[in-house]
Amino acid sequence: MTCASAFILRREDLVPLLEELAETLEVVAPVQVEGEAAFATWRGEALALDDKNPLTSPMEFFLPQKEVLFRYVQYSGRYTFSEDPPRARLIFGMRPCDLRALKVIDGIFGADLPDIPYAGRRRSTIIVALNCTTPGEGCFCRSMGSGPGAEGGYDILLTDLGRGYLVEPGSSAGVYILRAHHRHFEEADPGDIKEKERLLALAGDEIVTRGPSLNPEKIREAIDGVDWEEAGRRCLACGGCSLVCPVCHCFSVLDQGVPDGERLRCRDTCILSGFSRMTGGANPRAALGERLRHWYLDKFVYIPEKTGLFGCVGCGRCTRVCLGEVDRWSLFKEAAE
Amino acid sequence: MKMDRSKMGTVAEGGTRTGRAAGVKPGSYLPIQAEVVDIDVESSNTYLLSLRPMDEEDELVAVNYSPGQFLMVSVFGLGECPISIASSPTREPLQICVREAGRITQGIMAARVGDVLGIRGPFGNGFPVGSMRGKNVLIAGGGSGFATLRSLINYIADDREKFKEVTVVYGARTPQDLYFTSEYGSWQAAKIEVGITVDMMDASWKGNVGLVTSLLAEIDPSPGAAALCGPPMMIRAVAKDLLGRGFIEPEIYISLERHMKCGVGKCEHCTMGRYHVCTDGPIFSYDVVGDLI
Amino acid sequence: MEKIATICVYCGCGCGLFLHVEDGRIVGASPSPAHPVSRGRLCVKGWLAADFVHHPDRLKTPLVRKGGRMVRGSWDEALSLTARRLKEIMEESGPDALAVLTSAKGTNEENYLLAKLARVALKTNNVDHVARLCHAPSVAGLGFALGSGAMTNPIRSLLSADAILVTGSNTTEQHPLIAAHILEAQSRGATLIVADPRRTQMAQLADIHLAPRLGTDVAWTNGILNLIIDMGLVDEDFIIERTEGFTALKDLVVQYTPAAVERITGIPPGDLKKAAVAFGEADRAAVVYAMGTTQHSCGTDNVLALANLVLATGNVGRDGTGIYPLRGHQNVQGACDMGALPSVYPGYQKVEDPAARERMEAAWGTDLPADPGLTAVEMMEAAEEGRLKGIYISGENPMISYPDRDQVMRALSSLEFLTVADIFPTETTALADVVLPVASFAEKDGTFTSTERRVQRVRRAVSPPGEARPEVEVAADLLRRLGVEADYASPEEVMAEISSVTPSYGGISYQRLGISGLSWPCPSRDHPGTEILHQGSFPIGRARFSAVEQQELAEDLDYPLLLTTGRSLFHFHTGTMTRRTHLLDRERPKAAVDINPADAAALGVRSGTMVVVESVRGGIEIEARLTEEVPMGTVYIPFHFAEAPANQLTARTLDPTSKIPCLKRTPVRIRRADS
Repeated sequence: MTCASAFILRREDLVPLLEELAETLEVVAPVQVEGEAAFATWRGEALALDDKNPLTSPMEFFLPQKEVLFRYVQYSGRYTFSEDPPRARLIFGMRPCDLRALKVIDGIFGADLPDIPYAGRRRSTIIVALNCTTPGEGCFCRSMGSGPGAEGGYDILLTDLGRGYLVEPGSSAGVYILRAHHRHFEEADPGDIKEKERLLALAGDEIVTRGPSLNPEKIREAIDGVDWEEAGRRCLACGGCSLVCPVCHCFSVLDQGVPDGERLRCRDTCILSGFSRMTGGANPRAALGERLRHWYLDKFVYIPEKTGLFGCVGCGRCTRVCLGEVDRWSLFKEAAE
Repeated sequence: MKMDRSKMGTVAEGGTRTGRAAGVKPGSYLPIQAEVVDIDVESSNTYLLSLRPMDEEDELVAVNYSPGQFLMVSVFGLGECPISIASSPTREPLQICVREAGRITQGIMAARVGDVLGIRGPFGNGFPVGSMRGKNVLIAGGGSGFATLRSLINYIADDREKFKEVTVVYGARTPQDLYFTSEYGSWQAAKIEVGITVDMMDASWKGNVGLVTSLLAEIDPSPGAAALCGPPMMIRAVAKDLLGRGFIEPEIYISLERHMKCGVGKCEHCTMGRYHVCTDGPIFSYDVVGDLI
Repeated sequence: MEKIATICVYCGCGCGLFLHVEDGRIVGASPSPAHPVSRGRLCVKGWLAADFVHHPDRLKTPLVRKGGRMVRGSWDEALSLTARRLKEIMEESGPDALAVLTSAKGTNEENYLLAKLARVALKTNNVDHVARLCHAPSVAGLGFALGSGAMTNPIRSLLSADAILVTGSNTTEQHPLIAAHILEAQSRGATLIVADPRRTQMAQLADIHLAPRLGTDVAWTNGILNLIIDMGLVDEDFIIERTEGFTALKDLVVQYTPAAVERITGIPPGDLKKAAVAFGEADRAAVVYAMGTTQHSCGTDNVLALANLVLATGNVGRDGTGIYPLRGHQNVQGACDMGALPSVYPGYQKVEDPAARERMEAAWGTDLPADPGLTAVEMMEAAEEGRLKGIYISGENPMISYPDRDQVMRALSSLEFLTVADIFPTETTALADVVLPVASFAEKDGTFTSTERRVQRVRRAVSPPGEARPEVEVAADLLRRLGVEADYASPEEVMAEISSVTPSYGGISYQRLGISGLSWPCPSRDHPGTEILHQGSFPIGRARFSAVEQQELAEDLDYPLLLTTGRSLFHFHTGTMTRRTHLLDRERPKAAVDINPADAAALGVRSGTMVVVESVRGGIEIEARLTEEVPMGTVYIPFHFAEAPANQLTARTLDPTSKIPCLKRTPVRIRRADS
C-alpha cells in the first residue's frame, strides 16, 4: 500500500472487510429491522446503507438511553463500587449530520470536566463515516453547514461512487485499519475525487430544493417572535424531539437497589415539567411553551456560545417524531414573516 | 484520623470552578465515601451532619473548598442531590445542612452516626471572598438558605481583620426554624453585627418580627459586598433595598438553588438561560441574574 | 446491540417499537418507523415502555403463604399447591366456587389458556377480566347495534374523516397516537368536535367543545341526532337498505329539542347546532369514545345513542367513517377475543348457544358448563358472600382498579384460596396465598390485539428475572396438573389452536404476522384480514337502532359535587409499571384532586391544600389542584395512586346490561383536611 490519501473499496469487498473487522471489534452498522434501517450490531446481515439515515442516531452508542454508571455493593456499612469498561466498537455508516453532533457533544461532554463514561466510549470507538448521497425528505443539513459531506471527525470516510466506495482515512487509527486490511483497497484516481464532489453537490442541491430552507441566524432571531404558548398548546409532551435529537444530551441519574444496586443514568428531556421542577415544587420553567422555547434557545444560542457550533445539525428527526403535529420549522417561518 | 492543620484554612479563593480536590476524579460519577461523625438538630426538619471522608486519600476534600460551594450527596439506593456546604474550610469537620424536602433528603436525615454517605465535589464557584476582602460585607439569609451563608460567616470570623464592617441579617418563619442559634454569640464576639427576625412569633420570642428588609432599615449597613441566599421573593426585596443604599449590582452575590443531577455542567437540569447554576454558579452577581430570578 | 421489534405494553393503540438490547439488558426503546400506527412516533410512555423491566422490585421467585407469612417456594410447590387447593374447592363446593381473572396485559395465548383453564379444568364460566370495567357496554351496545363490539375502522381511517366527534376520551393523554391521527386529520381540514365536561387538551384544541354535565350523554347525543333529522342530513338510503328500527328512534328524539337538551346538559343550543351541522354535513364522519362514555350506570345506553348517530348518518363501512371504542389496555381486545369473558368462548361464540358449546366441547374434548359465569364485580360480591371460594388472578390489581375498595378487600380476604400472578408486588398480591412471578411483555413471545383489531407479534427481548416464567407456560403447567392435556412447545402452537377454534382468527399464524400484523376477522389462511368492518353487510344482517332515553339523575344534597375519575398521561392504570419508571413518576409523583377555582374559593382551598374527599362509600385525603380544566361542580381524581385511592369513593352501581360499574359519576363532598 502506498501513501496515497484516497482509495477505492469494491462493493463486493465491503462485507469481507467488515467480517475481518468484526473479529476484533463490535461492528455497528445500519441493518434492516422491520422494514427500516436501524443501527445495530452487525452479524453478517444485509447492510441498509442506501436507506435514509436511521431514526435513532448512532449517538446512542456514545450517550445511551440508559447506562449503568456504577454498581455499589454494601458490606458492613461500607461500599465497594464497580464500573464496566467501555467496549471496543466500530460504527460503520455514520452520516455527516451525526458526525457533527458528535463534535458538538465533544465540546460539552469532552470539555471542562470531561464526562468519564462518554470519554471512555469516545476513545474506544472507531468511526467509519458515510457521506450522504441519499438525503431524507426533512433533511436540512446544508443550511446548518453539517452536510451532506463530512468535514473531519471520522477515522475513515466513505463515499458511495456506485462502482465502489471512495475511502479516505481521517486519523491515524483510520490509516492503521486501511494498512492492516490493504488487500481490499486500491488507489483512487483524481477522477474519483471529482466524482465524489459532483455527487455531494448533487445531494446538496437536492436537500435545498426538497427540504426546508432554513438559515440558523434567522432562526436565532425568530425565536423571540414565536408564539410559544400557542406551540405549547399542541405539544403532547412525548419528549420524542429530545430523544431523537443527536445533540440533545440531558440526563437524569437514579439508584436502583438496596443495599446493593446500580446507579443508572438515563436520557431525559427538558420538555417534561419534572425536568426543572425542584423538590419543593417550584419550577423555573413551568409552562410547556417556556420549555419548548428553551429547547430552541439551547440549540441556537447557548450551545453555539459554548461550543462554537449550532446545536442543530439539520437531520430533521424532531419533525419526524413530533406527536403533536407541531411543524417545528414552520414556527420560525411564520415568526420571520 | 489526624489532619494536618497546614492543609486547612485560607485555601481556595472564590472562583474555583471545580471539584478538582484530591480523591475526586474530575468528571467521574463515582462518589467518595464519608462517615457521618456527628448530627445536630437545627430545627424540626433540618439536621446538621458532620462528615469525615473514610479514605485517607480523600481527606483533603474535607477542607479543600470555599464558602458557597456545594456537594453532591448520595444515599445509595435513593440517589444523589446537591447540598450546600455549611461549614467553613477554616474549621473541622466538614458539615452539610439538610432540610427535609424529598426522598433523598429524607434518606440523608435518616442516617445515623457511623453510617456512610457518598459525596462528590465540592462543586460550583463559591463566594468571591478574595474580592470581598477589604470591604464592608452584608450577609442576608432567609429560611434554609442560611446554611451556605454560615460557611461564609465562619470563614470571615476566622479571618476577621481582613474585612471591614460585617453584618448578618437573617429571617426564618418561626423562632423554631432559626438555624445555628448557638453561634450568634460567637459571631458577635468576632465583631459581626447580627440581626435576626421571624415571620411568626411565639410566646417565648422577644426579638424582631417581620421581613429581613425591616432589619436592614434598622441596621442601615454601609455599602460594600453583599451575599444573599433565600427564597426568590426575599432575594428580590433585599437586593432592591441594598441598591437603594448604594450597593452596586456587580457586588451583590446571590446563591441560587436548582434541580441538579451531575454538578459538572452536563445534565442540563440546572440551566438558567445560558448559565449552568452548577458550574457558572451557584453564586451569581445581581447584574448577571437580576432579571432571571 | 440488538433491536427487537415488539408492541408497546400500555394503551390499546398497539404501537410498534424497538427494544434496544445489550448484554441481556434493555438499554433503550424507539418507535418503529414502518409500523402503521406508530409511524416512527411514540408517546412519552411508549418511549419509556421498557424502563420498568429491570426494576429491582420485580417478583423473581414464587411465594407461598406459610403461617401467615409469605415465604419463597419452588415453582413445583407453588403450582401443585394451587392445583390441589383449586381441586379441593371444586370437589367440596362445586366448580362455580372458583373463578379466574385474566389480564389485559397478557398475550392472546395466555388469555386463551387461562380461559381454557377456567372452562376445561375448573368447569366454570367464571372468567372475566378488566374489560368488564372498560368496554363491556361497547361489547353489549355495539354488539346489539352492529353485531360486533369492536372498533369498526383502523386508526389510520381517521385521517380521511371530514368530521370527528370525540367524547368521553381524553385522547391526547390516554391514546396519544390516536390523538395524533385526529390532530393530523384536523390540520388537513377535518372538524373536531369534543364532548367532555373537562377542558382537556383535546377539548382545548377542538373546533367545537361541548361541555355536558356528567351523566347526560344520551341527552346531547339524541339532541344532535334530532337536529340532524330536522335538517334532513340523515342518510336515508343507508337507513332503508341496511338498518331497522329508525322510526321508533325518530319518534323518541323529537323530544330532545335544543332547549330541552340545554336544560339537561347545560350545552348552549348554538353549540349543539354547530356540532350537528358539522357532523351531519360531513361526507365522512367518525365517532371516537372511551371510558367517559362507558363507565356509567347507563353506559350501554350511551353507546347505543352514539351508534344511532353513526347509523343514521350512514357513517359505517367506509374509510374515514366509523365508531371507535378506544381500548385502554394493549391487549384488552385480545383478552375479549380469547373468550376471557363469562358468557363467550373465543371469537364471541356464546356459551348459551348449544351449537357453539358442542363445537367447543368437540375441540377441547370435554363437557363444558352451560350457564354464563360471574362478571368481575359480581365475583367480588360472591366472594364476600362466601359463594366464591378460590380465585386465580393473572396480573390484575382489583384493590386499586375496582370500585369500592373496602368491599374488594373484604371479598379477597374472605377467600379460602387466592393465587396471583404478577410482575411486581401489588396491593392484591399482598392478599394472596400463592404469588407467581411472571414475565413482562419484554420477556415473552406471543401476540397482542390492539384497539383496531390488529393482531401483532410480541417478541422476547430479554430473559425474565430470577425464576420468573412467561404465564403461557404457567397456564399450560397448571392445565396439566389439573389433568388437561397441554403440551405446547411454544406460544406459536397455542396460536395454532386458537386459530382452529376461533373463526375470526382462523387465518392467523405467526408466519403471516409481518410489520402490520393482521386485522380480524381473518377467517382463512388466504384471507388478507379486515381493516374496515360492515362494508357490505352487518354480521346481524341489518343494523339496529335503539330508542334510548336519558335517565333521571339522582342528586344528593349531602354530596353536592360530582367526582369523575380517570388516568393521567404519565401513568398507567394502577401504576405498578409507570410508578417504577423514573421520568414518569417524577412527572406526576402524587395524586391530586382537580377542583375548579370557583368551587375551591367557596371551600377555602388553594392549590396544594390537603383536603378530604368523601362519598357515601368512604373518604380519602388528597392534595388539591386548582384548574379550569374541570367545570364548577365537578372534581377529578386520577385513580393510579394507592396512597389516595380514588376507588375508595366509587360505588358498585352497575349498568344493568353490561354490569359495568359507574366510575365516572360519584356524588362527593370536600372539606379542608385541617378543618
